[in-house]
Amino acid sequence: MQVLIAALGQPAPAHAAFAEARFLQVLERPLVVSGELSWLGGDRLQRRVDHPQQETSTIADGEVTQQRAGKSPRRFSLKRAPQLQVLLDSFVALLSGDAARLQQAFEIRQSGDTAGAWTLTLVPRDARVAKTVASIRIDGYAKESRCMHMQEADGDLAVDLLGPLAAQMPAEPTREALQALCQGVP
Amino acid sequence: MRRGARATLLIGWLLALAGLGWMVSQRLHVSTDLRSFMPAPTTPDQRLLMEQVGEGPGSRLLLLSISGQPDAQLAALSQGLAAALKNDQRYSQALNGSFDLGALDASLLPYRYLLSPTLDTQPLDEAYLADQLQQRLDDLSSPAASLLKGLLPRDPTLEVLKLAERWAPAKSPELREGVWFSPQGEALLLVQTVAAGFDPGAQQLAIDGIRQAFHALPGSAGAKLDLSGPGYFSVVVGAQTRHQADWIGRVSTVGFIVLLLLAYRSFSSLLLSALPIASAALAGIAALTLAFPEVHGITLAFGFTLLGVAQEYPIRVLSHRRAGEDAVHSVRALWPLLLTAIASACIAYLAFYASGVNGLKQLAVFTIVGLLVAGFSTRYLLPHLLPRRVRDVADMRWLARARDMVDRLPRPRWIPVAVAVAVVLMLALAPAPFWQNNLAALTPLPQDLLQHDARLREALGAPDVRYLLVLQAPTEQGVLALSEKLQPRVDALLAQRAADALELPSRYLPTAALQRERQQKLPDRATLQRALDEALQGLPFRADLFQPFVDDVEAARQLPPLTPQRYAQTPLGQRLAAMLVERDGHWLGLGTVSGVHDVAALQALGENTHGAVRLLDLKAASESLVVDYRTRILQALLVAAILLVLTITFALRSLRRAWHVLAPMTLATFLVLAVERVAGIEISLFHLVALILAGGLGLHYALFFERDTGDPAEQRRTLHATLVCVLSALLVFGMLAWATIPVLRAIGLTVSLGVAFHFCLSILMAPHARQD
Repeated sequence: MQVLIAALGQPAPAHAAFAEARFLQVLERPLVVSGELSWLGGDRLQRRVDHPQQETSTIADGEVTQQRAGKSPRRFSLKRAPQLQVLLDSFVALLSGDAARLQQAFEIRQSGDTAGAWTLTLVPRDARVAKTVASIRIDGYAKESRCMHMQEADGDLAVDLLGPLAAQMPAEPTREALQALCQGVP
Repeated sequence: MRRGARATLLIGWLLALAGLGWMVSQRLHVSTDLRSFMPAPTTPDQRLLMEQVGEGPGSRLLLLSISGQPDAQLAALSQGLAAALKNDQRYSQALNGSFDLGALDASLLPYRYLLSPTLDTQPLDEAYLADQLQQRLDDLSSPAASLLKGLLPRDPTLEVLKLAERWAPAKSPELREGVWFSPQGEALLLVQTVAAGFDPGAQQLAIDGIRQAFHALPGSAGAKLDLSGPGYFSVVVGAQTRHQADWIGRVSTVGFIVLLLLAYRSFSSLLLSALPIASAALAGIAALTLAFPEVHGITLAFGFTLLGVAQEYPIRVLSHRRAGEDAVHSVRALWPLLLTAIASACIAYLAFYASGVNGLKQLAVFTIVGLLVAGFSTRYLLPHLLPRRVRDVADMRWLARARDMVDRLPRPRWIPVAVAVAVVLMLALAPAPFWQNNLAALTPLPQDLLQHDARLREALGAPDVRYLLVLQAPTEQGVLALSEKLQPRVDALLAQRAADALELPSRYLPTAALQRERQQKLPDRATLQRALDEALQGLPFRADLFQPFVDDVEAARQLPPLTPQRYAQTPLGQRLAAMLVERDGHWLGLGTVSGVHDVAALQALGENTHGAVRLLDLKAASESLVVDYRTRILQALLVAAILLVLTITFALRSLRRAWHVLAPMTLATFLVLAVERVAGIEISLFHLVALILAGGLGLHYALFFERDTGDPAEQRRTLHATLVCVLSALLVFGMLAWATIPVLRAIGLTVSLGVAFHFCLSILMAPHARQD
């Protein structure tokens, strides 16, 4: 596992295109946004959404700043957004190749290795976080992460297609179609 | 008196004391609230001060900081403490910055449409709903989604968040780990106590509760909890003063006992002579408990100080005993003079009773009863108990030499004139100001506490304790209406930076009229449903998702307007309740101000309102109260002085003799005043009380030195008694003069100087030595 995670490491700043589909109970069809995820080094992460609306969220120093075009920025504590805490913990640890950090925050299961397709399943150790985020699954191939699934405890699901795969987000995604994309071979 | 009779008398006396003690312990209710000590207020501001000094929202705030651990740990402690205090009856509020969606009580949730200003400018129509729903959709794809998801079905326009933002403090500290942090890395909390701010007793309980709750938290062992705020200060000051007074008291008591043992070489005499004082104190308190429902702590402190005079009575008896003579005889010879002293003191204190000020009345009752009991028990009980065989102090050789020396002192007639001129010059040249009106200056806080407070207050944007914006109207709704009307002007002032923040009661609750106005703008169920359905066109929300929203709006249409009474059952309503006070059939709204930059601009809010709106300066009002109080004391003193002259003249039946008693006493009193003024000391109430005590002691010295018995041995005994009295007073009060707390120093220094000057002047101006 250390080998896999170490292999995923990149120098900061690292940028990756993403396309996200959210399957929410309050909605009849999934919500799709796309943009770029950036690791700015340290615990600083930026999530820039380009479609359908411009929006930039920055995580820095335990605070989330959300900036929307034409609106004053909204700020809130990272503690109030456990999904973001999870995103930060997993993303930064993966990008920096820091297996120890990942293990500190999550229980980790691995299948496959850098020779081909692999999957990491992360379950948050913090009981409070686990109340919101049940698990995270990262699908990858060789030295590349391709997908991130965030399963929320209330049944809602967010699937992020990362890197080149982001361009392949269907206009009306289904859980099954995304599953197939993620586990496919590039 | 036979042995058996003596034993019976002693036991009877002790039993009487025990009985008094029991009665006092049952009935005594000591108030620590400064308000019950102050004179009746005369101006509207003073009245308000008296009622609000402890209850104003600002004065009930405690500022808390937690430090000494990593941020995450501190944040957990802050959350734990806030949660613990929220469920405690002693606190009306515990804020730590964690964004609290529960700020509006769940049972009041439908009221959000009547409380939030949204409907004033924006109908709940299709266009608005469509815009809001689109925004919520964006929110759902953003990181904030988990914050809003639960709220969405019931509150798609996020009124709850708008209210929470409206109610959040104007200036918030930095948020870290979800709670307030200072720039120095301490977790910050604001706690409002139910107890009045300047009631140290009640504040002590509230502070103990906070500390207990803190120490009960897991992981609190390595962290440090610091408090600040007016209530905490009153506790610190009280404890500090008591600690130093106790410490000094213990040392000087030991010194006093050693002195008396040296002077009289009799342990039983020493013990017995404590009985009149103990009787005086207990009887004084007992009388207070009978005459007043509660006794103020300061009255007791002043009273015990003034009762120091009574300590002289047994000392005089002990010093004036002759060898082989029954103590009863010795006292009988001494009694006329002692009675003159007691009577004149009591008559003088009557003036204090007539002052009409509650605190001074209590003081008078305590002192008069105490002095009478001490005097009469010294005369009629003590002598029967004193040991038969005593050493006549007149036989002591050193005393004879001392008396000779005193008698040989030059006594030029110009002494009174010289002293008087010196007094006038010193008073004229002394640096201004003459009076110290700020009582708090007498019990100053350590500089680091003040800095800590300033730092926390700045970081938290906590309201100023000094200023209150007071709104007055016949009804509660009237106050709210006034507050609503004033809000735009206040907003303009804040924009001009006249103050950092000004919080009016209408911020938490609009008037019933405005609520009804908003209610009328709420669409009925069918209209809202139609607008919602149309707004939802093309949006992916589940069709029935917003049923709770439609239900809430319908509920809000039927609600009776929220009243402060109904609101007060919730934490936020408690906050409002602290800002709305009923008094004498009308209502007051108390607006808290923080970071005042332009007092005049704030005062201008009250122009042309005929007193309905005014800026109350608590410091100025409290100082004007002190000035009033002092005026009353000075008036009482003037009457007391006249009564004293009449009593002494009548008792001595000679103007000339009265002059010899009263002149040294008067000159010494003014000399103390002049010396302290020249030393740059500003005179406070405590100095005045100390001067009165010194005057009482000085009266004794002058009376006894003036007495011409024609018996050198008796003159020696007089000198012995006076020396013991002077030394014991110097010992007790001289120690106090070294205290670091100004209030103790004020009393100690004034009495010490007084005793010294009274002693010297009454010797130098005594008449008979010249006649020898």
